[in-house]
Amino acid sequence: MKRLMMGLVLLIATSAVTQAATLRTEILAEKLNFPWSVAELPEGGFLVTERSGQLVFISESGNKRTVELDLPDLYVAAQAGLFEVLLAPDFMTTRELVLSYSCGTERANNTCVVRGILSPQPPYSLLNTQNIFTALPKKEGAAHYGARMTWLPDATLLIALGDGFVYREQAQKLDNHLGKIVRVTRNGEAPDDNPFNHSQAPEIFSYGHRNVQGLIYDAARDAIWQHEHGPKGGDELNKIVKGGNYGWPIATFGIDYTGAKVSPFRELPGVKPPLYLWTPSLAPAGLALYKGDLLVTHLAGKRLQRLRLVDDQWQLEGEYLQDINARLRAVYVAPSGRILVLTDSAEGQLLEVFFED
Amino acid sequence: MVRMFIAFLCAVVGAALVGTVIQTQFNLAELTALSVDIEMSTRMETILHDLLHFGPVIALILTPTLLIAFIVARGLSHFLPKFERIWFIVGGGVGLACAFIVVDSLAPMPTLIAANRTLLGFLLMSATGAFAGWIFDRLWHPQPRELAEELPR
Repeated sequence: MKRLMMGLVLLIATSAVTQAATLRTEILAEKLNFPWSVAELPEGGFLVTERSGQLVFISESGNKRTVELDLPDLYVAAQAGLFEVLLAPDFMTTRELVLSYSCGTERANNTCVVRGILSPQPPYSLLNTQNIFTALPKKEGAAHYGARMTWLPDATLLIALGDGFVYREQAQKLDNHLGKIVRVTRNGEAPDDNPFNHSQAPEIFSYGHRNVQGLIYDAARDAIWQHEHGPKGGDELNKIVKGGNYGWPIATFGIDYTGAKVSPFRELPGVKPPLYLWTPSLAPAGLALYKGDLLVTHLAGKRLQRLRLVDDQWQLEGEYLQDINARLRAVYVAPSGRILVLTDSAEGQLLEVFFED
Repeated sequence: MVRMFIAFLCAVVGAALVGTVIQTQFNLAELTALSVDIEMSTRMETILHDLLHFGPVIALILTPTLLIAFIVARGLSHFLPKFERIWFIVGGGVGLACAFIVVDSLAPMPTLIAANRTLLGFLLMSATGAFAGWIFDRLWHPQPRELAEELPR
């Protein structure tokens, strides 16, 4: 393994837009089946979700071992499967984590979140799993689940959701969870200070989203950053505020895959405009904070981008990892400061990248 | 042969134009149902945009679909020539409905054309195939009374 690690240490002098930094890349693990997210464990090693349904522990030496996991209603197909693993803020003492996944059947499914307790040492298993959130209504098809999550300082959990693709108008309706970001307590309850109080969906925090694939809380700026896929064009970076309407599908910079307009409007009164746009679409999937900059990985765009906030506007600072020609599913900056990237394929990789500023 | 080619071209273009306008109205209707006001000028701009961008896509679906459907319709009209016009109309409509189903089963998204998400939308969009069948047979094999029709002065 050591030999592999040494052999695969690549110095990638990626030509960045501004030539501000180069990037060194190291492969930590290989042959991961469509890895979707990664969490660094404080005792060392990583938990990686594979969309096909496995939660995998990867040791620091690169050895893999499946974590015993009981998700009887897991639905795996197309975009559906096991999504994000996120450690609780007090994981060190409680060993609690949350997992998002698609639950149900082909005819009736949506995004679910469970919490569970990771056993103290390898071989790991996830114990006492209990559902804390199910996006409703259950819908047909295996597309647009969102499923990224982040903790807020008050220990509530934000869960990003998708519009299910063919239910896009539901993103504007406050009686369901399609196309929303929801906020729940660790027990799955809707906090009293959530902005809407519809009895069927009191968890809603913001709405008008298409398919959220990046969501993080920025403690230094006390801001929530999010990105979501547009259709053909119109991938958006947004600052999420409580009760905000982000426009889908009544206002969008993208058009449908068929070339038809989804909406004639790019902006409308009451709709929060995006802070940064990707047109043509790069399909951002993964968002992390690094030294105040945003790191964004892209699936179709096959690159890692670094965005910097200059005069209240996000600007492209550099582009990296185009050399490896891989769809990139996610980027994380671990509590230790390590930058982790997942490639998206049946032979997916867990990479560690090092900026050499 | 030239007549048949022109008739086929007119059928594809005619169905693409009508199908495009139908799908635009379905999309805009969904927005107005969400209390979005859409002025007539915006509607016209949207139709024009969709004719230029969605039109070629639906024409691409229509071309092979109608080719197959019309060959089948021609075959059936050998046995029951009296109903030739009906065969082409039914063939175009059923053929396009089948094409939508096939495309949706192959495309990564559950429904490629948003207007096809509802039964009414699916039936109306499929009916543009029937319209193509009518255009084709009307131009290829016009009936005696149609030939006798005078052009408006």
